[in-house]
Amino acid sequence: MNDTAYIHGNGDATNALVVIFLRGGADGLNMVVPVEDDAYYTARPLVGVSKNETVPLDGMFALNPHLTPLVNLYRSGDLAIVHCAGSEDQTRSHFEAQDSMEHGGSGGGGWLGRYLRYRPNGPGGPLAAVAIGSAAPEALRGAPATVVMNSFEDFALGERAPAAMSALEKLYEPESGALGVAARSTLAALDKITQLNASSYAPNNGARYPQSQLGNGLQHIAQLLKAKVGLEAACLDLGGWDSHFASATLINPLMKDLAESVAAFCADMNGAMQNTNVVVMTEFGRRVYENASLGTDHGRASAMFVLGGGVRGGKVYCDWKGLAMDKLEAPGDLPVQNNYRDVLAPVLSRHSGMTDFARVFPNYAMTPMALYA
Amino acid sequence: MRITRRKFMQAAGALSAATLAGCDQTIRFLGVPQAPGLNGPFSVSTGASVDQVTHVMRRVSFGARPGDYARVAAMGVDAYIEEQLNPDAIDDYACESLVRRNETIAAPLGELFEYKQDILLRELTRATLQRAVYSKRQLYEVMVEFWTDHFNIAQSKGDCAWLKTADDRDVIRKHALGNFGELLRASALSPAMLWYLDGRANRKSNAEEIPNENYARELLELHTLGVHGGYTQRDVMEVARCLTGWTVRSEQLFFKGRLEFRKDWHDDGEKRVLGQTIPAGGGETDIDRVIEIVTAHPATAQYLAWKLCRRFITDDPPKAAINAVATAFSTSNGDIKSTLRTLFATREFRTATDAKFKRPLRYVASALRATAADCDPNDALYQYLLRMGHTPFQYPTPDGYPEEAEHWMGSMLWRWHFTAALAKNRIEGTHVDWKNLGKQAGGEQMLVAHLLGRNATDLETDCCTQSGAGPVFMLSSPAFQRF
Repeated sequence: MNDTAYIHGNGDATNALVVIFLRGGADGLNMVVPVEDDAYYTARPLVGVSKNETVPLDGMFALNPHLTPLVNLYRSGDLAIVHCAGSEDQTRSHFEAQDSMEHGGSGGGGWLGRYLRYRPNGPGGPLAAVAIGSAAPEALRGAPATVVMNSFEDFALGERAPAAMSALEKLYEPESGALGVAARSTLAALDKITQLNASSYAPNNGARYPQSQLGNGLQHIAQLLKAKVGLEAACLDLGGWDSHFASATLINPLMKDLAESVAAFCADMNGAMQNTNVVVMTEFGRRVYENASLGTDHGRASAMFVLGGGVRGGKVYCDWKGLAMDKLEAPGDLPVQNNYRDVLAPVLSRHSGMTDFARVFPNYAMTPMALYA
Repeated sequence: MRITRRKFMQAAGALSAATLAGCDQTIRFLGVPQAPGLNGPFSVSTGASVDQVTHVMRRVSFGARPGDYARVAAMGVDAYIEEQLNPDAIDDYACESLVRRNETIAAPLGELFEYKQDILLRELTRATLQRAVYSKRQLYEVMVEFWTDHFNIAQSKGDCAWLKTADDRDVIRKHALGNFGELLRASALSPAMLWYLDGRANRKSNAEEIPNENYARELLELHTLGVHGGYTQRDVMEVARCLTGWTVRSEQLFFKGRLEFRKDWHDDGEKRVLGQTIPAGGGETDIDRVIEIVTAHPATAQYLAWKLCRRFITDDPPKAAINAVATAFSTSNGDIKSTLRTLFATREFRTATDAKFKRPLRYVASALRATAADCDPNDALYQYLLRMGHTPFQYPTPDGYPEEAEHWMGSMLWRWHFTAALAKNRIEGTHVDWKNLGKQAGGEQMLVAHLLGRNATDLETDCCTQSGAGPVFMLSSPAFQRF
């Protein structure tokens, strides 16, 4: 292992992956609407998003108006949309489907945890993996180190932090081996973090994070990334997508939050987005036809978003077969065409080219999508 | 609603205990002792460097508690090792009483499915930490940790969430200081292992079916001969054939999780494993032949000796010690106690002072032991292990948590955090009586010597003062990371 790898797991390149999980089963057909497919409007006479409200993406799809803040990223080629994406899990159970997707199949631990453990450049530093919230997500299970955080104060070494830090520096000074290197780089990172302040932070390019948990979380991630403390994987959740009932009232504010937060993060990170990727995913999509309470029930495929450096964006990836009944999976669900692993694998490859995917996604024959140039 | 046996027993228990106000009162009523605390003055080692007593004690246990030094110094290290090699003779009632408050720990395999999986993980983790911190059978607990890594099972895989609790109790703990062959056989037939490495799906019920060789490969590569142990792909396939038919019942209502042998799934033809023939028609005894063959193989003795020496001596153990331990393993037919007795007698073991780097769980346990912390290992403590990447039963792949120091260097930040939080009693459920600890040690200087196993250097003394934290600061020192 490289001696300097302990805190700056990837040097100062700040190569980072941000995963946003939309919990509850987000409706891909409502976010990325097949406006040119009449069957969509037949299936959803009341909850369908009317074409003239949407923002056109290509000859078939248009973006839900509440996702408008993402349009510029799509047009500049920084956002790729993978439609008909999902897992092989057929249970349509939130718990089972999230578990299966976050575990990355049937192995032990989570896919991101295994990736961080087994990629060739070592396990990374103490801040390699950060989850915003109150518990570590299943995707990070088994990671070499997982920090669950809500604020930068979580990092301070108690009330006497400056005294403790200078005493530690002195105490580890005679250590010439790996332990000394680890201690000194840890102190350097800690020094950077203690200077971070969330409330007085001025994002780049006039970016404005919404005052939401996701917006706040992404801002913290951006600050950590800019401080170059060795953050390599961040997990954030946005819950509430289970739109069985009155879906528009439930979902519209969530889409707005998602789009504004992600757009702010990308604007704020700007140049550094070259080394940063954002993936938005959900456990499953919704039934194609609406139910009687103006909602949609648990379905199969949804959409995934991939943003950031090198991605071949400005495109909706999928071979659209239409929503005619004979193209659907019983009982009327959009079939999964793009397995989430085939979306995640190229993103992980971009971060660590020599990754052994047999360990990250065991027992799965991969056909990674060509999402990068 | 289905009335389960557990619910029935709970209801019966609730009736008989109806006059008692709460669980803790029940415990006190029954006269269960509390965990060992700080009972009086204790003497410490004040040499310039770590002496033999401290060295042996640190290796054989998760770290010294107040009072341990005087006790072991008085009895001598050889008697101490012998004591620890015979855990059944050690009264551990106080610790076991704490552990039994986790009701899933003693629940029979079939009843485990009645609990939510996060409760099972929480209780199994808590029991593991309680035992590391409080058990007097320290070598036994150290070996339980060793075999838990050796026969690693990720609790997060499928039904392992329920079955690992039984594996921990009926396989690892049952045989941790027993016979290796029996341990291996129990592991091979552990429902959790059959789930984890797909043995339950290893079958040959018709000519086309190809056995699942996942477990067979790990049996040879990780559990016995080692990757360079001289087996071939052919051996892997033959071992897999021998083990066909052993599976786990999956029915929801009756005997879910129970081991069973499906004769109709077993390949009953002749097999050849590592040069030895296993005749056709062996049925469910094929596995016994496999266990005999691999346990007696010289590569297994070498591989296990290397792993044990790496755990107890240094990350890169000397060849002479490995050979001595391998010989002890072979001549005793895999008796774990005899093997360890030989290891602990080697000059290489006795002289390897400070040569090992504590893995996070040991770091935390040793700090809690040294400070006589009153500790309920709950989620607050778990968060530290999570940050350090060493939560029990959570390692994803079958090779188990790494042993080498290098892997754990990224955890320094959270070790320091742990010290800072412990110093201020800010870890919920964990409390150290710092004032009394210092008093019983005989002052700050003596407390530092207790934590380090020797007198502090001038630099260490200066840094304690400079940090403003006092003796507790030594838990963050390089010396306390080693053992």
